[in-house]
Amino acid sequence: MKKGRMLALALLLFVSMVQVFAAPSQELIDAAKKEGKVVVYSITSRIANAAKAFETKYGIKVEAYNLKDGELIEKVTREVGGNISGADFVICQDSGRVYGQLIATGYLVNFVPDSLKNVIPAQYQNPLVFQFINKVFIFNSEKTQTPVIKNVWELTEPKWKGLVQFKDPKLEGVNANFLTMLTSPEWSAKLAKAYEDLYGKKLVLTTKNAGYEWIKRFFQNGLILGNSDTTISENIGIKGQKAQTLGLFVYSKTRYDAAKNLALLPMPDVQPFSGFMYPAFLQMTKNAKNKNAAKLFIEYLLTEEGFAPWSKDVGSYSSNPTIKIDPDDKPVSYWAPRLVFEDPAFLFENRADVEEFVNTLSN
Amino acid sequence: MKTANRLKYFFRKPHNIILVLLFVSLAFLTLVPLFSLIRDTFIVHPSEIMSVRGAKINDVTLFHWKKVLLDGTKSFKLFYEPLWNTLKVSLFSSIIAIFLGGSFAWLVTRTDMAFKPFISVVFIFPYIMPSWTLAMAWLNFFRNKLIGGAPGLFTALTGIETANWFAYGIFPTSVVLGLHYAPFAYILIGGILRNMDANLEEAALILKASRAKIIARINLPIIMPAILSTFLLVFSSTMSAFAVPAFLGTPVRFQVLTTQLYRTLNGLNPGYGYIMAVVMIVIGLLILAVNQWYLGKRKSFVTVTGKSSNISFIKLKKMRPVISGAALFIVAAIAILPLLTFVVESFILAPGNYSFSNLTTQFWVGLGREDIGGGEPGILLNKSVYIAFWNSLKLSAVVALVVGTVGGLAGYAIVRGRGKKLSAIVNNLAFFPYLLPSMAFGAIYLSMFAKPIGFFPSLYGTFFLLVLIGSVKYLPFASRAGINAMLQLSGEIEEAAIIMGIPWRKRITRILFPIQKSSFLSGYLLPFISCMRELALFVLLITPANRVITTLLFQYNEKGWNQWANGINLLIIIAVLSINLLINKLTGASIDKGIGS
Repeated sequence: MKKGRMLALALLLFVSMVQVFAAPSQELIDAAKKEGKVVVYSITSRIANAAKAFETKYGIKVEAYNLKDGELIEKVTREVGGNISGADFVICQDSGRVYGQLIATGYLVNFVPDSLKNVIPAQYQNPLVFQFINKVFIFNSEKTQTPVIKNVWELTEPKWKGLVQFKDPKLEGVNANFLTMLTSPEWSAKLAKAYEDLYGKKLVLTTKNAGYEWIKRFFQNGLILGNSDTTISENIGIKGQKAQTLGLFVYSKTRYDAAKNLALLPMPDVQPFSGFMYPAFLQMTKNAKNKNAAKLFIEYLLTEEGFAPWSKDVGSYSSNPTIKIDPDDKPVSYWAPRLVFEDPAFLFENRADVEEFVNTLSN
Repeated sequence: MKTANRLKYFFRKPHNIILVLLFVSLAFLTLVPLFSLIRDTFIVHPSEIMSVRGAKINDVTLFHWKKVLLDGTKSFKLFYEPLWNTLKVSLFSSIIAIFLGGSFAWLVTRTDMAFKPFISVVFIFPYIMPSWTLAMAWLNFFRNKLIGGAPGLFTALTGIETANWFAYGIFPTSVVLGLHYAPFAYILIGGILRNMDANLEEAALILKASRAKIIARINLPIIMPAILSTFLLVFSSTMSAFAVPAFLGTPVRFQVLTTQLYRTLNGLNPGYGYIMAVVMIVIGLLILAVNQWYLGKRKSFVTVTGKSSNISFIKLKKMRPVISGAALFIVAAIAILPLLTFVVESFILAPGNYSFSNLTTQFWVGLGREDIGGGEPGILLNKSVYIAFWNSLKLSAVVALVVGTVGGLAGYAIVRGRGKKLSAIVNNLAFFPYLLPSMAFGAIYLSMFAKPIGFFPSLYGTFFLLVLIGSVKYLPFASRAGINAMLQLSGEIEEAAIIMGIPWRKRITRILFPIQKSSFLSGYLLPFISCMRELALFVLLITPANRVITTLLFQYNEKGWNQWANGINLLIIIAVLSINLLINKLTGASIDKGIGS
């Protein structure tokens, strides 16, 4: 009894100490306020809400600009490369390009706030991860609540012809990354095994490996490419449709279910993967003008308060493990074995080939 | 001494001064970018280190050319097939635009059709709307079960499921672009038809020529330059249109050069994109050459001697109600209906549910809800909408002023210097920017002006850069308008003024401009509208501080936040129309150039 109480007390003390630690130093706050302004380019639109909250809290003006992943990389390349002042820090995605084009060139600079060095797992610290985002197989759940597929190879069967949607990998780097990762030795082996598990026979290849083979058959089975995950979520989720459809898109779009009258459920147990997960990075630019304000905002975004715009819905997972996720969602540890992750080195080497391959696939 | 005298004589003519000034500045603003573009097809860009193995940034390489032209199936899918699709789309939409716009221009200017003022104004709506919003309207209407979701309005109302070829791909892309650019044909052809001296027709009538013969032998030859100009303009515009094929083609994986260009410029292989841009320019140049050849063949058509006062309307007689009704129906379908869908769509909450209970003012005056569109506030409470809108207005107004004035002067100088080499060169230079695909043009200006050039400071992120690129890009509108206006104007008018000793400035402002006021003013108005709804040209050059309304609009559309997009689209249309109305009240001119009246 007493021991338990002691433990609780110690825990409380520890938590409060962490909290003391977690606050940014007064020096930083003062310096940031002196700059008075910070510019951020972000791949997530919810940065606008975080910006508003940050402005109210510190009185520092935020210019938040929401860009697509490829656009953001191009802009940073031009601006930092030409030493033109643009963003002070960025929230970017697309590992292969971010590593190869922005980090290797020194255009982006890593910064981990002192207060978070012991909180954020070391493997997420360089480059600093802001959050993980997942895109999973999601089906229209109006008629049935049970997942409609168990194995990704089912999607290459005539049964699903023209009923599956996916955002055009040309329009978003992370989608191209996912396809690229499937051609890696690890995932192509898993795909080959999944094929055998489903059909009880060996996969006959017409391409380099099982990864390419699945991509080819997936695309040639009347896959409908879309322009936006939001639109796809509506196309799939609207109630009253005759056909049973599904899509591979951002899990967080299911948050629109109630307001938009959609019926969407994820399928977390598809073999060998249920979708993919990718990091969004928090990085300062080499020529940041408002360095301190950027640092303060970065630190803020990694706190529970700063992450609030993302944490109240499913499908966003902060790199700071103390930030609670949505009660309906499961943590990264649950998703990790179920999803395809990015390997920057592999992507850097192979993405161009896979893109080229995908471009040759017609309906 | 002799050369000095010759020079002095040369520069005594105002049009020569203008020609020289234009030559110098246009060479810098269009030819330098062209060389920089060509250079870009041979070097390794930062994002290409992933695909060009072992290369370093800025290495010289033939990689892009080999991949685009000589790599079998890959080249076919990457380049040849999209190229073929581009040519088809551009050709079809040019034909649609010229046929539709030309017919309406003729009906409005030369016949006694009813409802003219209304039709005349409404017909240009599709041009005011950013082109891809028409594509969105098409999807709202004709989408079928291929992409799922709520059925399109057409299917919902009639129960008929549209065919895939009708809903997506080359057909709707061509139609939408054709409709979007039909007002071009309408304005350019209508301008000429209206000012054409009716005496020619009357003479033919007296000689008992049939109506068909008059159209074929008199009207058509006279408007041929305008038709060719329109063809050139529409063909080039549709060739560089990106958003329409992106929205209508993606579901069936219909690829054109621009969708590949967009992907490659923002993706791993900008080098490919620059090659595609070069190809598009070459195609444009070929059409331009045909145009030149035709114009050079016939010496001149002076069709306006002073202001034509007696226009005789062709009596449609029994056909009048039928034709008027049909015309009314067509403009309603292509201009009013999309507008209505924008209005409706901006008020509905759950997509596809048009019941009264589903209406909401959330997207106009709502504070922003987390469960729809990430807490974005409604349009009228949205700070960024106001900023972007103001920037757009400012930019369009400045560009229009610059372009209209420079273009009018260019038209004057080119026509007055006709037959001289310099005039021909400037004519082509002034038109050349039109052939540069907007997105690639933006990309080149970005790399050109991102660093200081000589005494020029770096212009990236400045408002001035946007004005500069807008002015160069839209100069062709104004210079064409100016040339067309001046070509119709007999030289005797100015000669008479010269004999009277009237100074040049007065000749321009008191005589030439007033006579062809509507044509010259269209040189101000077209750039204004085009600028208000331009996206591709600015998208790479925009920084947060100077973002324009179309970037916001496109972003909303791309994200699928259609209610905001539809609302903003309405705002753009309302703004342009109000300004048009204002100018109409002040000067009597109008976008449709008061064709109706």
